[in-house]
Amino acid sequence: MMDVVKRKWAPYLFLSPYMLFYAAFGLIPILFSFYVSLTSWNGIGKKTFVGLDNYAFLFNPDSYFFTSVGNTLLFVAVSLPLQMAFGLAIASLLYSKFVKWKAFFQLVNFLPYIVTPVAVGLMFNLLFDWQAGFVNKLLLEFGLIDEGIYWLGEPMYARVVIILMLFWKGFGYTMIFYLAGLANISKDLHEAAAVDGATGMKSFWTITLPLLRPVTTFVAITGIIGGFQLLEEPMLLLGGAGMGSASAVIGGPERCCLTTVWNMYDTAFGSTTRYGLGAAIAYGLCVIIAVFSFVGTKFYREES
Amino acid sequence: MSTRSRTVTATVSIALLSIVALLPFYIMVVMGTYKNEDLFTKIVLYPGNYLVENFKTVAASRFDLAYWNSFVVSAASTLLSVFVSALAGFAFAKYDFRYKSKIFGAVLLTMMIPGQLGLVAYVIEMRYLNLSDTLMPLILPWVANAFGVYWMTQFIRGAVPVEVIESARIDGCSDLGIFFRIVLSFIYPALTTLSLLVFLWSWNNYLLPLIVINKPEMYTIPLGITTLGSAYRTDLAAQILGLSIGTLPVLVLFAIGSKSFIRGLTAGSVKG
Repeated sequence: MMDVVKRKWAPYLFLSPYMLFYAAFGLIPILFSFYVSLTSWNGIGKKTFVGLDNYAFLFNPDSYFFTSVGNTLLFVAVSLPLQMAFGLAIASLLYSKFVKWKAFFQLVNFLPYIVTPVAVGLMFNLLFDWQAGFVNKLLLEFGLIDEGIYWLGEPMYARVVIILMLFWKGFGYTMIFYLAGLANISKDLHEAAAVDGATGMKSFWTITLPLLRPVTTFVAITGIIGGFQLLEEPMLLLGGAGMGSASAVIGGPERCCLTTVWNMYDTAFGSTTRYGLGAAIAYGLCVIIAVFSFVGTKFYREES
Repeated sequence: MSTRSRTVTATVSIALLSIVALLPFYIMVVMGTYKNEDLFTKIVLYPGNYLVENFKTVAASRFDLAYWNSFVVSAASTLLSVFVSALAGFAFAKYDFRYKSKIFGAVLLTMMIPGQLGLVAYVIEMRYLNLSDTLMPLILPWVANAFGVYWMTQFIRGAVPVEVIESARIDGCSDLGIFFRIVLSFIYPALTTLSLLVFLWSWNNYLLPLIVINKPEMYTIPLGITTLGSAYRTDLAAQILGLSIGTLPVLVLFAIGSKSFIRGLTAGSVKG
């Protein structure tokens, strides 16, 4: 290789800080977590080796493992397509030559994504508070309801609020990826289509959208993987950080909004201190994410 | 339609859509300017006049301490992470060594592993090292940042000409000297982008401080925001103001560096 300098020790020296820190605070915890997942342990007392019992227990409904995976999947399955459609619409508008103050609108629409997740959860907790919440007051004012809806106390409504919240937080993320994708499509294609008489809408469906497929796939994969790590927003929305709502229930009413990471946190560090089971939940989650990543990257490779 | 009317239509529609993004922020800020009792009785649409009073309540809760802790954690994480990533990126981009592609592949693979996988044991490790209730556990995981290494490798490969490295070497510059004097000066844009990303990720982190930090004087902003909730259970308005204040630095930082920030996030998704 022409581009590369040959030196014996230098590259190893330069890699060593990364390697040392990864080994100490990345790899060792991961390996030790696996060992912990084979034990029954409360973090203080004696560890008892239990083999694969913790993993077997994940299949027991009492572990809420698959309930939490199902909840998480439901949130992603409903909110992600909404985020993508809305993000694409805004990106297309921003990319068209007719919009002014592009940088400003891009910034505004991306803000929700970078706000501290804890703040997002609390913000929506306030908006949907049954007594002081803006949403109920607005609905009452317009006479659409007679008394405040108990948004965060009914499983069905709580899920709707979470999906709205994820949608609000996430459409800016899909928007910036679609903007990057649109900038990559050659203008000549649209000009050629216009010469052939294709109108804006038609050239969008027949040229733009198919060419954006790799971006769509990428956003879908990262959205699903990121979605599986969902924790703060539902936790603060429903966890009763004291923002007016009455009950501090784990996972919301009837655990309808318990996500997988929330379940892991609660098992190991929350209402119980079952470290072994918590570690097993983490490994279970990792397997599920690995399956989605594997299938996803296969799709992505085929398309790009 | 004329170009002018199209421009107006498109700009107005994007402005209307943007309201979706802004409205919750607006309501949050406005609610923080009212007296607590008023929040329960009327709809608040425009700013009130109770901002100073609410601010006093928030200030009394040692929110400044949480700010300082968050700043220390994020700044230290950012500096260490960017430095270590740039060093490793330099090695991968400009040197040839045994098992290079295998090691690089392994680094990329660790990018796929969810951060929660080793969490249980990491917490135990921190206890064992007597680091619980210090800020160290919140900094250490960022030092070895696989995304940072990937990002730096890609950038250094393209941005630093090998001729410059060679001629510096002929002039008697050491490898480490080349890194500090030459490589770093070529990669400012990449350093900025990575710094912004790591600062934001670290600032927003909640799960780790929630588990390892128990002392209120060690709280970071996300923890501080949530406990404002329990400390002033009755004063909703003060909590909301605290929320706005805690969110502010990230918004400002992002507004300043949004271009560089978006470039980092979208890196690798779209092949040019």
